[in-house]
Amino acid sequence: MNLDELTRSSGEWLRGTGPESDIVMCSRIRLARNLAEFPFTNRASRTEKSEIESSIRSAMQRANLELVYFDVNALPPLDRQFLVERQLISRELAAGEGPRGVAVGPLENIAIMVNEEDHLRIQVMLSGMALHDVWERINRLDDQLEEHLAYAFSTQLGYLTACPTNVGTGIRVGVMLHLPALAQTKQMEKVFRALQKINLAVRGLYGEGTQAFGDFYQISNQQTLGKSEPELIRILTDVVPQVIQYERTARQALMNEKRQHLHDQVSRAYGVLKTAHTISSEETMLLLSSVRLGINLGLIDDLEIATINELFIQTQPAYLQKIQGSELGVEERNVARASYLRSRLSNGRHVEPD
Amino acid sequence: MTCEQCQDVATVHLTRSINGERREVHLCASCARKSGLSPREKTPDLGLDAVVQSLIVSHVGELVGELANLTCPECQLKYMEFRARGRLGCPHDYRIFARGLGPLLNRAHGATRHVGKVARIRPDAAERLRLRAQLREAVLHEDYELAARLRDQLRLKGADA
Repeated sequence: MNLDELTRSSGEWLRGTGPESDIVMCSRIRLARNLAEFPFTNRASRTEKSEIESSIRSAMQRANLELVYFDVNALPPLDRQFLVERQLISRELAAGEGPRGVAVGPLENIAIMVNEEDHLRIQVMLSGMALHDVWERINRLDDQLEEHLAYAFSTQLGYLTACPTNVGTGIRVGVMLHLPALAQTKQMEKVFRALQKINLAVRGLYGEGTQAFGDFYQISNQQTLGKSEPELIRILTDVVPQVIQYERTARQALMNEKRQHLHDQVSRAYGVLKTAHTISSEETMLLLSSVRLGINLGLIDDLEIATINELFIQTQPAYLQKIQGSELGVEERNVARASYLRSRLSNGRHVEPD
Repeated sequence: MTCEQCQDVATVHLTRSINGERREVHLCASCARKSGLSPREKTPDLGLDAVVQSLIVSHVGELVGELANLTCPECQLKYMEFRARGRLGCPHDYRIFARGLGPLLNRAHGATRHVGKVARIRPDAAERLRLRAQLREAVLHEDYELAARLRDQLRLKGADA
C-alpha cells in the first residue's frame, strides 16, 4: 500500500455502520506512550529521534503487525496534508521536524504516530458507537508493542508523557458525533457547558476549538490520571447516549414543527452539491451536513450514508489535489471540488470513485 | 499663601470666572477636597503587588524560588522552561520536578496517583536513560572515546533485554 493507493479507498470509520451510526460517526481511542530510555521527542536529538523511530519500527515488525509505515519526514507537504485530512496524523506531526512517521493498519482502523509530542501515539478508530470494541483492540495492540519496547512508566504516575495533561493512562477516549439539529436549534452552547462540567472536552472534526465543521463534534475525556481506562470509557458510554437522545429530540422537533422548511433546506443542499460548478470547502461542509441529516430523516432516499461520510473527507484540499495529480490554487480547487461532487452524486446514485 | 477658609497653607490655586468676573481661589488640600475641587491625596493602593504575587503562585506554584533553579540532570531541562513551554523533557523530570508537578496534576486531573493499566517493569530502563544522557554529553564535548564506550554499554544492555 502506498499513499496513492490510499486515495482509492476510504477508512472503515466512514462506512456508516455500527451502533447509532446515524449520529455517531466513529469511536476512537488513542494511547500516549514513550520509550523509557530516550528523552521526550521535543528534547531528543535528530540521532535519538532516528533511533526511537527504528526501535518502534522494529517492534512493529517483530510483533507481526499488519501495518504500512509512512516516513512523514520524507513526504511532500501535500501528502502530509492528505494524511491529516484522513485523520491518520495530527497537524503537529505534519508540521514537525526530524525523523517521524505513521504506521497505518488495514482499513485505516489503526494509526500509530511516531515522534509526535510523545514517541508513540497509538490510535484505533471504528465506525459507530463501539468504544468497548475499540478498547479491546487498542489494549491488545499496546500489549503487542510492549513485548518489544520498554515504556516509560512509574507506579505512582502511570505512563509518563511529555505533557502532564496526558500522564497516567495516557488515554483519550473520544466519539465523533454529527449534531446538525442541536446546532441548528442553537443548543450546542448548552451541551458544551454541561460536558465541561463533567470534564469532557468538545472539539471539531480536526481537533480545532469549538468551531463546527460540518456539525461534527468530538467529545473526549480530559483527565487521564486517577481513573482507570474502563472507568474513563464508562463516563463516555454513560454521557454520549444522552447527547444522542438530545439530538434525536431536536431532530424530531424540527420534523414536527418545520418539516417543509427542513425538507426544502435539505433538497436545496442536495441540489447545489449535485449541480454546482465551483464550490468552497466551507459551503460544501455546510451542505453535506444538511444532506446527511436529510438521509437520516428519510427526506433523501437515493443516497447512501457512506457516500456522504466519505465526501466530508474527499472534498478536502489535499485529497482533491492528489486525485488531480497536481497542486491547485483555491479557485481551481473549488472547480475540482464541484466536479468531483457532481461525479459522485450524479443521478442520485452511489458512484464509486474511479 | 494661606487658605481662604482655614488659614492653613494653600496648595490649590485656581481662577474662576463667575458672570464674566475673574476671581482667584486659594485653598488648602483639605478645604479643596471638602468643596469637591481636588483629587484625593494620593493614588490609592490597588494592591497590585499582591495581585501579581497571587497570579504567580496560582500559575507557577508556591515553591517558585526553589523550583525555578531545578534542572534535570538527564535532559538538562529547567523547571522554568517547562513552565514556559508546557512540555517535559524526559521521563526522569517527573521525579526531579515532583514538588512542582504535584499541585499541577491535582488541578488538571483531580488526582495524583495512577489507577489502571500497568506496564511491565523494566529494571534497566532508567539506567539506559542515564547512559544516553552521558552519551549526549560526551558527543557534545567531542569526547568520542567515551561516547564509543557508552554506546558499547548500551548495546550490551540492549542484548540482555
